[in-house]
Amino acid sequence: MRADLAAGHRRAWQRLASPGTWWTGEERLAIAAEARHAAACRLCRQRAAALSPYTVGGDHDSLGTLAAPLVELIHRLGTDPGRLTRRWYDSIVVAGVAPEKYVETVAVVVTVVAVDSFARGIGAAPWSLPEVLPGRPAQVRPAAQQGGAYVPWLEPEDAGPAEADLYPPGRPPAHIYKAMSLVPAEVRGFFGDLVNTQYLPAAAMRDFDREFRAISHAQIEFLAARVSALNRCEY
Amino acid sequence: MLLRASGRHSGEQYDFSTINGVPATDGGIPHGLLLRGFAEAVLGRDDAVLARRRADIAGRLGPAALVDAAAVVGLFNAIDRVADATGIPLEPEKAAASVELRSALGIGKFSADAAAD
Repeated sequence: MRADLAAGHRRAWQRLASPGTWWTGEERLAIAAEARHAAACRLCRQRAAALSPYTVGGDHDSLGTLAAPLVELIHRLGTDPGRLTRRWYDSIVVAGVAPEKYVETVAVVVTVVAVDSFARGIGAAPWSLPEVLPGRPAQVRPAAQQGGAYVPWLEPEDAGPAEADLYPPGRPPAHIYKAMSLVPAEVRGFFGDLVNTQYLPAAAMRDFDREFRAISHAQIEFLAARVSALNRCEY
Repeated sequence: MLLRASGRHSGEQYDFSTINGVPATDGGIPHGLLLRGFAEAVLGRDDAVLARRRADIAGRLGPAALVDAAAVVGLFNAIDRVADATGIPLEPEKAAASVELRSALGIGKFSADAAAD
């Protein structure tokens, strides 16, 4: 296994247990545990099989440590992400999950998904969750504003000195870079630890003169496109 | 789409329709069927099928290719969720450049279905 990939996974896993921007390490680990638990949820299975998930009521089978709106977010994101809507997002916020906490929760869940899916792919057992690290959330909010997404995002021109390194230089950032910019630490962590190592760094994505992996650019993009189609992801 | 850009660079012609599952071809991608089957198995629930496809990848493309293929599948299984949960729209320039391709693949139907929910 590539050393950069192993190191990225170690950093990502350690971040799960570390204090974040809006959640403590203990809360982040509870979110990670709930994300894994969602696969066994009966309500999620019923909703995934329904023509519309919004017609199936009931309670999630949860670990019981997190509030119901947060469990709804974690489970839906894990088991039926292709049918999330603006109305559903608004309902989660109205129920008490602030956009900043929503974004950090998304980041924790997708970290678990990325690493667990990789482990399943190579035939390795899922990693145990790490031991919690003490400390308080940083609670630093950038000058993000409501833009084209459900969540507020940070335009490059609104970035302060603390966010100057957030986006790749040389071109306007793709929306996927801005998606979690309400919590800049999660952008750095997700792209630095996972995107750059499991996929490609930004500069390598369009460098078709060289191959950077044991599979070609075309094979990488074909895999990416097939996974996104299976997930019914339009972006 | 970077797959299209890759094809333009190499002069290869890829059949993008296979991305949506039909037809079940390699789309002109080397070992495309193998890779496609592997991605479907990782996201699926059948462990026996996944074990066979994992062994196929390792045997025909090598262990390093298995690691890199699993890494890409895992990453996009995650990044799709970032896009879906945050509701980011497609960039206007990408939308304009991919109108025909997206129509041919029925990609716009994904968001129409979600909106109907």
